[in-house]
Amino acid sequence: MPYREKTAWLSLLAMAVTFGPYFTMTAARSLPNEPMPNLRQLGLFAVTAIVQLLILGAGHLFLRHGAVQEARMPLDERDQAIMRRSVSSAYYVLIAGMILVGCIMPFTSSGWKIINAAVFMIIAAEVVHYGVVVFSYRRQA
Amino acid sequence: MSQAELGQRIGVTRQTIAAIEAGKYSPSLEAAFRIAHVFDVPLDKVFQWDVKSSD
Repeated sequence: MPYREKTAWLSLLAMAVTFGPYFTMTAARSLPNEPMPNLRQLGLFAVTAIVQLLILGAGHLFLRHGAVQEARMPLDERDQAIMRRSVSSAYYVLIAGMILVGCIMPFTSSGWKIINAAVFMIIAAEVVHYGVVVFSYRRQA
Repeated sequence: MSQAELGQRIGVTRQTIAAIEAGKYSPSLEAAFRIAHVFDVPLDKVFQWDVKSSD
């Protein structure tokens, strides 16, 4: 498996084990109308982000240790084509999400609902980004 | 010559050579010329374009 596919799997895994529980807990707990900043929600978000960073840091170190030469190689033309394809796919998800969050939600929601929706759309765009990378390497395209 | 060795000589990864061989990835013109140069043959000896399959 190419090094860059492994790093894409790692990013997907890190998002699944951190933001998966984050959004599950947030959705399960109906958000009280606490005044901003809601420190409990802010703390949950901070812990989630820090755990994700730790998983990514440790994972990258582990993967790099196993493939030092491949990790140092610059992107070749196929890697760049895969990167372009994945970024352009994620862009459409992100722009649709930002229209929803920035232009529509302010009329119906406020506070952490908007923040969480924005974070969710960013994570969704990242999932599409890394998903397209994995899919492209899997089918050798 | 192994895929890894060919990849190293033209500046791409082994996986890219495998994808080109499998017909899953079309290389750039530059990479195609580099491959032909490595084997010291004309470009059309290495790459052919099948009109029927591309229609």
